[in-house]
Amino acid sequence: MTEAAEQPAVEASALERSFGARKALDGVSFAIPEGAFLSVFGPNGAGKTTLLKVLTTLVAPSRGSASVCGLDVVEGAVELRARIGLISHNPLLYPDLTAEENLLFFADMYGVENPRERARELLEAVELDHRRLDTTRTFSRGMLQRLSIARALLHRPEVLFLDEPYSGLDPHAADILDSLIASIRQHHTFVMVSHDLDKGLELCTHALILSKGRVVLFERREDIDEREFRETYRRVVGMGVA
Amino acid sequence: MGSLRWRQFTAILRKDIVMELRTREMLTSMGLYAILTMVVYQIALAEAGEGLDVRLIMPGLVWVAFIFMSMLGLNRSFVHEKDQGCLEALLLSPVDRPVIFFAKFAGNLLFLLVVEALTLPVFAFLFLQGRAGFGGGLWMLALVLLGASIGIAGIGTLLATISVNTTGKDIMLAVLFVPLQYPLLRAAVGATFAGVIGGEGATSSFWTWMGWIAGFDIIMVLAAFGLYEFVIEA
Repeated sequence: MTEAAEQPAVEASALERSFGARKALDGVSFAIPEGAFLSVFGPNGAGKTTLLKVLTTLVAPSRGSASVCGLDVVEGAVELRARIGLISHNPLLYPDLTAEENLLFFADMYGVENPRERARELLEAVELDHRRLDTTRTFSRGMLQRLSIARALLHRPEVLFLDEPYSGLDPHAADILDSLIASIRQHHTFVMVSHDLDKGLELCTHALILSKGRVVLFERREDIDEREFRETYRRVVGMGVA
Repeated sequence: MGSLRWRQFTAILRKDIVMELRTREMLTSMGLYAILTMVVYQIALAEAGEGLDVRLIMPGLVWVAFIFMSMLGLNRSFVHEKDQGCLEALLLSPVDRPVIFFAKFAGNLLFLLVVEALTLPVFAFLFLQGRAGFGGGLWMLALVLLGASIGIAGIGTLLATISVNTTGKDIMLAVLFVPLQYPLLRAAVGATFAGVIGGEGATSSFWTWMGWIAGFDIIMVLAAFGLYEFVIEA
């Protein structure tokens, strides 16, 4: 194996992030290889979103370190941003721009070559080509999420972060997201934050449970005893799971 | 990298202009505020009679209107960025934070200048009809407007960024904006006065005040530029 292949695609080491006196992340450590799909589970307030924000360079860690694509999230933040994408439950789109204008704007932000062709290609992939000239204010939740997927894939990121991507999606939009993930699965690394245990376990190669900012469990999918995993999750969340 | 920065700068500026032309939120609110303020001035001065030389108080009246008008507009300049988490998407992209600052600053400056250029004739119509015109040249007025608007837009863009993530952002912007703009406001009133009244010594006085404005612009825009990365990621 080459050195590059051995290097984790996403790694956190004794990661801490505090907001005032409250520790949102408290000594989080894990590593996943290139091509992995990490599902992060945990109750509300467990630190899942903070972890995602640190890994996507939106929030700096208070202590410890994290790297994505071999780049430190603080020192290599600018270079790293060009290599990652985020699909959030929030569409991250300008409501007063059209679908195409949104994609062209972000293509400019990422320096995408042939932006118009790339935007059209992605609009077709998410089945929104017919609405490309409509402002996104007029879009349904599912359509916004599909366009948000196109935005996140514009610059061909190596690592994709998914923050509750299935939240509020209709079955058709969820199918499109499934097929898009399947189509790029081989060439990308994924980190997904989710409350949906079934979907998370179906997709993942690695799973992590966070509680009160700490890692309760981190295992490879093949090592997971599903019954035990669900039991641990239920105990952590403090409520039953489907 | 240089061309990418330029591409990012023009993309943010173009996006702000397109969205403003579509929603007209900033231009409408600032324009209406400025015109309504002038109508109120006219009512307030209705009993002053013909003996009052409005030109003596015009610089103060105009800049009071413009300062409060710009506060109103600048408060809205980051509202679009908060919608649907757009600011997060912008910060996720590989764009240097100063590029965001200069693009937002350029947009705010453009909108301020447009509203100022549209409302000044209204002021002249309401107050200067049938009276003595400008003693100095109109170019003086244009230069003061440009110089002072650079300072207002520069510091305003920084403060609008700070206040967008703050509870009670309207109060926050007002509390920080007016004290910081005080030296600029004083110099703008002085330079406008010299331009309006004209006469002996006006040109020299005008350039002295313009020197103050230029100094303020340089310090404030540089400070805003230096602080922007820290402020926008806070």
